[in-house]
Amino acid sequence: MNNLQSISTVIAMCIASISSSSIAQSSSAALNVSFTGIEEKEGAILGAVFNSEDAYNGKGAPVRQIMISADKSEVATALEGLEPGVYAIKAFHDIDGDMKMSTNPYGMPIEPFAFSNNAVGNMGPAKWADAKFEVKPGANAHAIVIK
Amino acid sequence: MTQLDRRHFLGSGLFAAAAATIITPEMALAGASPAGWSLAVADVDADVPEEILRLVDGKVPADCNVTLYRNGPAKFRRGTGASGHWFDGDGLVRKFRIGNGRASLSARFVDTPKRRLETKLDAIVQPGFGSSRRDGAIVNGPDDTNAANTSVLMSGGELLALWEAGSPAVLDPETLETKGFKTFRRDLKQMPFLAHPRVEPDGTVWNLGGNGKSTFVWKLNPVGSLAKAQILETGRASYFHDFTATARHLVIVLQPWVQEGFKFPLSTAMAWKPELGTRILVVDKDDLSKKRVFELPAFSFFHLADGWEESDGTIRFDGCLEENPTFGQIAASALLRGEYIKAPSPMLTQIVLYPDGRADTNTTRISGEFPATDRRRAGQSRRFTTHVAGYRQTPFPHAIATWDWDKGRDDKHDFGSHQLVEEFLFVPTGSGERDGWLIGTTLNLKERRTELHLLNAGRISDGPLATWRASLPLPLTFHGTIA
Repeated sequence: MNNLQSISTVIAMCIASISSSSIAQSSSAALNVSFTGIEEKEGAILGAVFNSEDAYNGKGAPVRQIMISADKSEVATALEGLEPGVYAIKAFHDIDGDMKMSTNPYGMPIEPFAFSNNAVGNMGPAKWADAKFEVKPGANAHAIVIK
Repeated sequence: MTQLDRRHFLGSGLFAAAAATIITPEMALAGASPAGWSLAVADVDADVPEEILRLVDGKVPADCNVTLYRNGPAKFRRGTGASGHWFDGDGLVRKFRIGNGRASLSARFVDTPKRRLETKLDAIVQPGFGSSRRDGAIVNGPDDTNAANTSVLMSGGELLALWEAGSPAVLDPETLETKGFKTFRRDLKQMPFLAHPRVEPDGTVWNLGGNGKSTFVWKLNPVGSLAKAQILETGRASYFHDFTATARHLVIVLQPWVQEGFKFPLSTAMAWKPELGTRILVVDKDDLSKKRVFELPAFSFFHLADGWEESDGTIRFDGCLEENPTFGQIAASALLRGEYIKAPSPMLTQIVLYPDGRADTNTTRISGEFPATDRRRAGQSRRFTTHVAGYRQTPFPHAIATWDWDKGRDDKHDFGSHQLVEEFLFVPTGSGERDGWLIGTTLNLKERRTELHLLNAGRISDGPLATWRASLPLPLTFHGTIA
């Protein structure tokens, strides 16, 4: 099942790119992102928010990063000042707090991960088309199950 | 076309002649089978609550107090779809208990993510050994496809339901309730763990988990905790379902059925390359970097028996060797369609590895499978191997036998063509290698019931000491354990 390794590789790339994330542009939308189904109440939920298919696929930086203490079964964060538009989120539960998507010796992801729309991948990250959602002007909410 | 459809089709005189011209003889054989062997791969729709089995023959030995756990696939079809392979059905763990002169049975499906998802969708969607990935599949790691259907192991007081490409599932030994997947160490989630661990007499467990040209080596302490976890390069991406061990060495048989690339079903990603021969890797248990390699002409196999080492270093073990992997490649898939494709018979064969690097095989010329031995002698020399036998007009065996390697003969009991015989295990009652019982199950096609049998291990040809019958037929199991 070597191709499963691509899940962790791609997510690791995505997470690595968070540090270079751009500063939000001036805009008029807010997005409340919640994560539910957290089973191990330790570590943090780390995520990246993208506003284009290219960026989502690793050819660009996320527009925002998410880091929320995973101390409850449901946690949330508010992202202010987003441009209205189409977004997608990749996230994982960094249980051991090493800021990386942990893998087993054969490279399989061993920490929970999820995508916006609760989209699922085929032995890799979910596709942009399945994970994308619209952020409208004003208040928005998006819930992701991560377990 | 379902089994029933085909029989109906063939049974119609008008179409019989036409049918003979358009279907293969193998398919005709299956369709014509009056015994309905496809009960061996039928679906079970619900857990089986505990029931007292009816003693239909013989007398229960007063001192018999034993629990037999068995595992095997028992759910292959949902909606309009079906698993693509016998190895891909949901594991149903059965508990047969003999004590106080009575026997009971209960059975429970292992509650896996695969089973939950497919129950919700009412469809077979998860990929596997011989099954394709279908719409609705969720595969984020091997355990999402884990069927937990191959064997069971008692380790550290836990009953583990084993598969081979992912984690063991933890079951309550009393209720058979699933507690989740076993994590031996946090970073070892989703690691492959074969269904054929080798257990030393003191309870130390050795196991492998194949992945391309390497395997993971597991060593568990007798209390069930992790003692060693290490990657071992094997140099060849062979498929192996089993391995063996002596007291000092792991013996890894690398057949030339090799993985080339990656795709689902897994069996279609593997190619049979007999020109490569079969390679045997012998690895020092105390230092996995110490390896020796032996070469033999090509053979395929699923199962091996425990090995041992003689004073001059000669290693001996036996296995059920096949000319090629036709059974695993296509015949075991065809079973689910009610079709019988003749595959090369597994032949009980001893393999000898000499200190000078030569290797040799001694065939018994007996077709046999599911080798079982006296577990107290694991890693030590022994004389007997118990195996299923009597392969004839169905894809499944009809007899149980014990091969005597000294005398070169079988002590055998044939249950008859209406009985499909599963693995039998040895339960010692004295110190001798045959001082004890053989306990195992059959599927009685005439009665359409599963049966439990107890035999005197030293007098198999006498037939069962006691036979109990369940109220229902359960599909055939692969492997079990005694507790």
